[in-house]
Amino acid sequence: MSELSIEAVHLSRRFGSFLAVDDVSFSAARGEIFGYLGANGAGKSTTIRMLCGLLAPTAGEARVAGFDVKTAPESVKASIGYMSQKFSLYLDLPVRDNLDFFGGAYGLSGPDFAARADEVLRLCDLEHERDAITGSLPGGIRQRLALGCAILHRPAVLFLDEPTAGVDPVSRRHFWRLIRRLAREGTTIFVTTHYLDEAEYCGRIGLMVDGRLVALDTPAALKRRYVPGRVLSVRGRNLASAAASLRSRPGIIAVEPFGAGLHLQVAAENWNADSVAQALASAGAQAVEVESGEPTLEDVFLAVVARPREVRHD
Amino acid sequence: MTRPMRFLVRVGAMASKEVMHIRRDPRTLYMALAMPVVMLLIFGFGVSFDMDRIPLVVLDGDRSVASRALVRAVSAGHEFVIAADSDEATALRMIRRGQALAALAIPADYQRDLAAGRDGEVQLIVDGADGVVANQILAKIDGLVRAESLRRIDLAAEPPLQVKVFTLFNPEARSALFMVPGLAVYLLAIAAVLLTALTVSGEWERGSMEQLFASPVGRLEIVLGKLLPYLGLGMLQLLLVVAVGAVIFDVPIRGSVALLFFVGFLFLAGMLGQGLFISVVARSQLVATQAGALSSLLPSLLLSGMLVPIENMPRILQALSSVIPARYFVHAMRGIMLKGSGLSILWTDLVALTIFALAILALATTRFRRKLA
Ligand SMILES: Nc1ncnc2c1ncn2[C@@H]1O[C@H](COP(=O)(O)OP(=O)(O)OP(=O)(O)O)[C@@H](O)[C@H]1O
Ligand SMILES: [Mg+2]
Repeated sequence: MSELSIEAVHLSRRFGSFLAVDDVSFSAARGEIFGYLGANGAGKSTTIRMLCGLLAPTAGEARVAGFDVKTAPESVKASIGYMSQKFSLYLDLPVRDNLDFFGGAYGLSGPDFAARADEVLRLCDLEHERDAITGSLPGGIRQRLALGCAILHRPAVLFLDEPTAGVDPVSRRHFWRLIRRLAREGTTIFVTTHYLDEAEYCGRIGLMVDGRLVALDTPAALKRRYVPGRVLSVRGRNLASAAASLRSRPGIIAVEPFGAGLHLQVAAENWNADSVAQALASAGAQAVEVESGEPTLEDVFLAVVARPREVRHD
Repeated sequence: MTRPMRFLVRVGAMASKEVMHIRRDPRTLYMALAMPVVMLLIFGFGVSFDMDRIPLVVLDGDRSVASRALVRAVSAGHEFVIAADSDEATALRMIRRGQALAALAIPADYQRDLAAGRDGEVQLIVDGADGVVANQILAKIDGLVRAESLRRIDLAAEPPLQVKVFTLFNPEARSALFMVPGLAVYLLAIAAVLLTALTVSGEWERGSMEQLFASPVGRLEIVLGKLLPYLGLGMLQLLLVVAVGAVIFDVPIRGSVALLFFVGFLFLAGMLGQGLFISVVARSQLVATQAGALSSLLPSLLLSGMLVPIENMPRILQALSSVIPARYFVHAMRGIMLKGSGLSILWTDLVALTIFALAILALATTRFRRKLA
């Protein structure tokens, strides 16, 4: 068996005249956590649906768990777990009934399945909620149940479409502990998210902009590539006009508004925190405070999105 | 595990989930079981088309042996009760107040006319506010008076001449007999179409259909798992309607009970398929409810022959009714229950119901793509 769990080759999907996914190619190895990042409407869910055999690609090919999504969608479906973006368990049923149903949907039954369901309840920390009506549970617990339903049949590949959207930070951390554990045990995980802090957990990250995969690498490599040099975060008053004068100076790579302040990306050989503070103050800014920090994926994201792209005409 | 085994497990999982939903939502059970019985009782008792114990005022201007005999004849059955024996002014007042629905005026020379061999002429004043009621009263009085005058004329003759009206199969013209089979159709149609339309469109709305499509559950498994519980519920409903009809309204089942339920099964399968088709196309519960209600209610009420005999419909509606399964079900139900008809007469109905069920189920299953776009 190939060690590649997911292989997408020139995958595209068109809705009418609108190209939702545009010539996307990537692969993910067994046990990898592959993060898929992008703004709303970037084409993340559409990519997942094609990989799950739910949506036919308009062009290109994909293999998941060794099966072609076009020619063997049924084999793909039997080997994957899927958590759709919209929470879609049965809220009127108890936790255990939801597990029982999805087990049955994957053709599982009998004492082996009962033992597996108990194991999943334990794994997802749902033992106390087993008889609770799903609709009465908070979002974080529901998401863990949805994950539980998706892993009952021990899928080789798990697709999670924004699994932690709208969930509190503690539950998110809990959820990610589970994800990392599954990956360690050999499950390949393809996960989309809006939370850039979560993306740090991923082995590799693909960045989607308007249907195109514009960057793909490990978080560290992405930072090196897109946020070279030093990252400085600046606070103060009258920053906007001062920053404009700074932009043209040599060694200033990028100036991005960030909250009430600025994020500066500077060449390490030309600039440091003190010299930036001085330059801003002399350009008219007041109460300037500069801190140097590690580049975050947020900086990467902003750098990638800000890069000029060729204009497409459809 | 073998393939057929997994197929059964999946259908079983779908079906038992559906049963769990039904158990947790009493509205479904109410709609399927209580509503038909309630409606049957309302129709059976309240909207009865039979007139019984109609209050009648008698204005006897003759006060003879013959006129008293006529009054006795009119009030002997259970159709009329004498509300008063009085004058014209009182009669009109009572009718206006709704204390009486009709007045029978016997002229002063009634006995003499009869003795002379002429038809005794009597006058009937009827509250015409409700045309159906008025017509029934007219017909009933007319029959009674005619019979009575004939009896008198031929009192001496052997044997006495009598006019007899036979109503075939429903000698007392009881509407319950006619209505129970008709209502069964109407109630089964609505419940079956609506329930399936709701449950499948609910999966679309909830987003769980996408989750199901991402699993190896096949569309036939989804369809069977969705339909089987409602088929069971529908058969229970049929049993209930027939039982209420038999126990409370004395509606007989003169033919085969097995055939009755087999016809019911075929009809239900078609109605469930119709609900499935609607929800596959509509995908939203709101649209599915409206389309489901309209497409089951109107045809089964208006085109099935339940209320309006098919022979009395305009040509175009007659043609339309021939593609409505309710028409064949009404015909078969009435045949089995009231006439004791068997397969040799009803086979065309069975064939029509089978064709509809197979066609709509096949159409719904093929339209039901396991793809999102
Ligand atoms: N079935 C469809 N028909 C037409 N357009 C669609 C369809 N599905 C998605 N789109 C469009 O394709 C684009 C990409 O959608 P997609 O759901 O993949 O985005 P996404 O990256 O998942 O966004 P989000 O973060 O909001 O979930 C959007 O503009 C969307 O409107
Ligand atoms: Mg999405």
